[in-house]
Amino acid sequence: MHFEGTVAIAASRQKTWAFLMDPTQVGSCGPGVESIEVVDETHFRARAKVGIGFISARFVMQMEMAELDAPSHATILAHGQAPGSAVDATAHMALRDGDAPGTTVMDWSADVNISGTLASVGARLIQGTAEKMIGQTFACIRTKLEA
Amino acid sequence: MTDVQVRTTTTLEVGGMGHSVKRKEDPRFIRGKGEYIDDLNLPGQLWMDIVRSPYAHAKILGIDASEALKIPGVLAVVTGADLEKAGLHWMPTLAGDKQMVLPTHTVMYQAQEVAAVVATDRYIAADGVAAVLVDYEPLPVIVDPKKALEPGAQVLRPDRGPEKANNHIWHWESGDRAAADAALAKADVRVAEDIYIPRIHVASIETCGCIADWDAVNGHLTLHMTSQAPHAIRTVLALVSGLPEHKIRVKTHDIGGGFGGKVPVYPGYVLAVVASLTTGKPVKWIEDRSENLQADSFARDYHIHAELGATKEGRITSLKVKTIADHGYTDAAADPSKFPAGLFNVITGSYDFPDAFVEVDGVYTNKPPGGVAYRCSFRVTEAVHAIERMVDILAHEIGKDPAQLRMENFIQPEQFPYKTPTGWEYDSGNYPVALRKAMDMIGYEDLRREQAEKRARGELMGIGISSFTEIVGAGPSHTFDILGIKMFDSCEIRVHPTGKVMARIGVQTQGQGHETTFAQIIAEELGFPVADIAIEYGDTDTAPYGLGTYASRSTPVAGAATAIAARKIRDKARLLAAHLLEANPDDLEWGSGAFSVKGSPDKKKTIQEIAFAAYTNHPQGMEAGLEAVDYYDPPNLTFPFGSYICVVDIDRGTGQVKVRRFVAVDDCGNIINPMIVDGQIHGGLTMGFAPALYEEIAYDELGNNLNGTFMDYLLPTAVETPAWETGKTITPSPHHPIGAKGVGESATVGAPPAIANAVVDALWHLGVRNIDIPMTPQKVWRILNEKGVAL
Repeated sequence: MHFEGTVAIAASRQKTWAFLMDPTQVGSCGPGVESIEVVDETHFRARAKVGIGFISARFVMQMEMAELDAPSHATILAHGQAPGSAVDATAHMALRDGDAPGTTVMDWSADVNISGTLASVGARLIQGTAEKMIGQTFACIRTKLEA
Repeated sequence: MTDVQVRTTTTLEVGGMGHSVKRKEDPRFIRGKGEYIDDLNLPGQLWMDIVRSPYAHAKILGIDASEALKIPGVLAVVTGADLEKAGLHWMPTLAGDKQMVLPTHTVMYQAQEVAAVVATDRYIAADGVAAVLVDYEPLPVIVDPKKALEPGAQVLRPDRGPEKANNHIWHWESGDRAAADAALAKADVRVAEDIYIPRIHVASIETCGCIADWDAVNGHLTLHMTSQAPHAIRTVLALVSGLPEHKIRVKTHDIGGGFGGKVPVYPGYVLAVVASLTTGKPVKWIEDRSENLQADSFARDYHIHAELGATKEGRITSLKVKTIADHGYTDAAADPSKFPAGLFNVITGSYDFPDAFVEVDGVYTNKPPGGVAYRCSFRVTEAVHAIERMVDILAHEIGKDPAQLRMENFIQPEQFPYKTPTGWEYDSGNYPVALRKAMDMIGYEDLRREQAEKRARGELMGIGISSFTEIVGAGPSHTFDILGIKMFDSCEIRVHPTGKVMARIGVQTQGQGHETTFAQIIAEELGFPVADIAIEYGDTDTAPYGLGTYASRSTPVAGAATAIAARKIRDKARLLAAHLLEANPDDLEWGSGAFSVKGSPDKKKTIQEIAFAAYTNHPQGMEAGLEAVDYYDPPNLTFPFGSYICVVDIDRGTGQVKVRRFVAVDDCGNIINPMIVDGQIHGGLTMGFAPALYEEIAYDELGNNLNGTFMDYLLPTAVETPAWETGKTITPSPHHPIGAKGVGESATVGAPPAIANAVVDALWHLGVRNIDIPMTPQKVWRILNEKGVAL
C-alpha cells in the first residue's frame, strides 16, 4: 500500500525536525503505542496495539532512522511483528519552510506491507484504517508542535 | 421432482435397490449423537496449536521459544530443526512431490506451519503460539503462475536440485496435437477464449483435526482423525515414520464434510503424531476456521486457454486446450499417479469431437498446495466448465440456439461404448434425451420467447445450458494408482447365524449415506432386510484395505465389491440350500430372498434359514460360516451425465445475478436410493452455485490470503440458494455389477457452467463473450457500467 500527503505545521523547521527525531515525542503520537524504548540514536523499539475491524494485535515494532539530512529529509524503516502478522514499512519525509515565517511544510510518503492474519482477515478494512491512523498521527504531531 | 420409474425387485421392508429407504445414520445425527473428532477426548490428553507464518515467502532467521516455554502448561515447542534430526521435516505428498512438515529455512506461503506448541490445554497452547518469536527476512513473492514461468523468475523450490532450476513442475498432454491443429486450420469457424477457474476451498463445516495416541508400552499408535482415506493415511504414516504398519491404527469418526479436502496428509497430523511420540500422551489438534481457509489444500486454480473449431453450420471438429495449473508451493494433489492433471482430458465432454488435444503445465507459486478434487473427480469441474463455456460461445458466435447446437453435436446413444479422441471409453449415455427432458421441464421455447420480449424492453434475462459428462469411479488398476497403491476397493460381508449381517467397506462416508446404500446393495443381492445389515468403515484395524471416498468412487468401486461379495455368499448359500432341500444346486432358483426348487416354489429355504444352517447344519466337507470378501478392480470408469438449464435475471442497478429457475436432469445409471441421490444432487447443485456466484480465494501481491474467514469467503445459505428442480433419466453402466455409476459430484461439476452460460447469454448482445466465475455483483455491475446499461 502506498500513502502520501502534505502537512502544514505552524512551527519552525528546526523545532519540527527536533520533534520528529525524538522517538519518545513522535512515538507518543503513534496510535495505540504503549511503550517506546530507545535502542540508540537511530534505532528504537515500540510496542503498539493495532486494531482492524474486529481483530487486534499487539505489535513489536523495530524502527530505524536512515538517510538523515537535518533538518530537511529522513527515511524511516519499520519492521513489526505480532502473532501471525507482520508489518514492513518505508517512509520518507521532506521538510521545507512554509510561506509564513516560522512554519513548515512536510511532504511525506509511505509504502506499507501488511502480511499475515491482519491482512488476511482485515483486508477490506486495512486501507481505511491505515488512512485513519495516519490522519490521527499527523493531527497529534501538529497539536503538540503548535501548542 | 419429475421422475422416471426406478425399478425395484424387493419389498419396501427388505429395502433393496431403488427404494427411498430413510438414512440409517440420521437418527444419531438429528439427535446430536454423531461423534466428530472434536467430540472425542482421551484421558490425559494434551493439546497442540500451530505457529504460522505471516509471510508468503521468507527466510527464517531464528525461532525463540523461551518465552512460550515459561508459560505454565506449555510443555514443548517443536520446530523444523527438531524434526530435521529425525528426518521428519519433509514428507511425501500423494502426488509424489514433497512438502514440509515444518520449515527449517524458508516459509513458502502465508499461514504455513512454522512451529507447534504442545500444552495441557487448548487456550494455553494458543497463548504459547502467541509467545513464540520468529525472526523472518521477507523474500520476493510469486503469486501469479504465469510470472512464475517467466525466464529468470526466482526459483521457489531449489531443493529440487540444479537440473530443475525453474518453477515448472510437470507437463502433461493428451490427444493428437497435429491432428487437432490440422482440423483447426481447416475449420470454417474458430472461437478462442481464456477461462480462469479460480481457487476455491471446500470449506467443510468441520475443520481438520486429529488425536494422536502413542502407546509406548505396546509400541502402538492410534490416530483418530478426519480422513476420507484412512488406509492410505496408515500406509503413508508407516512409510514416513518408520513405525510398523500393523502397529498403526487409523480411525475416523463421523466426518462433518470432506469434499476432497480431507484426502491430503496435512502437517498438523504428522506434528500431532510427533508430539504424542515425544510426550507419550494423546495429543489433540483441531484447526480453527481461519487456519482451515488459509492453509489447507485448495481446489481449481486453472488458467485455461481453449480453442474450438467448427463448420459454418456448427458441427464441431476440433478442440485445443492449453492450461496452466497453479499448484502452490508443492504438488500435493491426490490425483492418480499417471494423471498429474487429473482426468482433465475428459474435456471433449458430451460431444463427438473428431480431434482434440489438451496440455497442462503444473507450476509452483507462493501459495498453499492446491489440486484438491473438490467434489469433483480429479479436474473434471475445470474441464466441464471450459467445454460448456466454449460450446456456448460457438453457438452465440454463429447465431445458433445453444440447445440446438448441443443436440447436433452430441455423441449419439448408438455410438456407445464411445472412444474419445483423448483416450477414454464412455460406457453408456443418452444425451439428447436428458437435454430434451430438461428443456421440457423448464419450458425452454417459452423462456426464449420471454427473453426476446424482455430484451426488447431492456431487461436482462439469460438462459444457460450445461450438458456435462462426468468420469468417476477411479479406477482400473492397470492405469490408476496413488503412490503405487492400485485404486481397487473392497467389501467384507459376514452373515451371523441368526441372519443378521455385518459388512465392512474400504471406503469412508462423510455424509453420503453409506450405512444405508451399501446395506441396500446387500439387501438387493441377498434378501436380508436393510434393518438387519450393519455397515462399518473407517477403522483400519477392521475394515478391508481401500483407497477411500473421493472422486465419486464409492458406489462404482466399493459398491461393486459389495455386490460381488454378496454374490459369493449367494453362491455358497445355494450349496447350503441344496443340502437342506436335498436337491441339486442347479435345480434351485433364487428369488425374494430364498432358494426354491424349480417348479416347486413351496420347497424353499430363506436366506435366514440358510444362514443358520451355515453354522449349525452345513454339509460335511464344506467350510462352516457364511462370509465373503471382494477386492474389486473396475474394468473401466463410469460416465454419469446430465443436462442442466438455468434461468437468470440480472439487476441492472446492482449487477446482482438472481437464479430464477434451475432444472437438473441427472443420469447416474441404476439408482440405489432415489432420496439419497436427490439429496446428493441438491447439495451438489448448491456447491456448484456457490463458486459460480460467490466463492473465490484471492491473494494480494504479497501472497496474503484475502478470504481468511466466512466474513470474506461467502458460502450460500438457504436464503441465497434457489429452489432446485430435479429430474432423471436412467442409462445403466453396462460393466458395473449393479449398473450404477456414482452421483456425488455430478451436480457440482455441471452447475457452474449452466449459471455462467446464463449470465453471458443475458449479456451477449451487449458484446460480452465471457465472464470468469465468480460472477459477483461488483464484477457484473462493472461490465454493465462499461456497456452503458447500468442503472
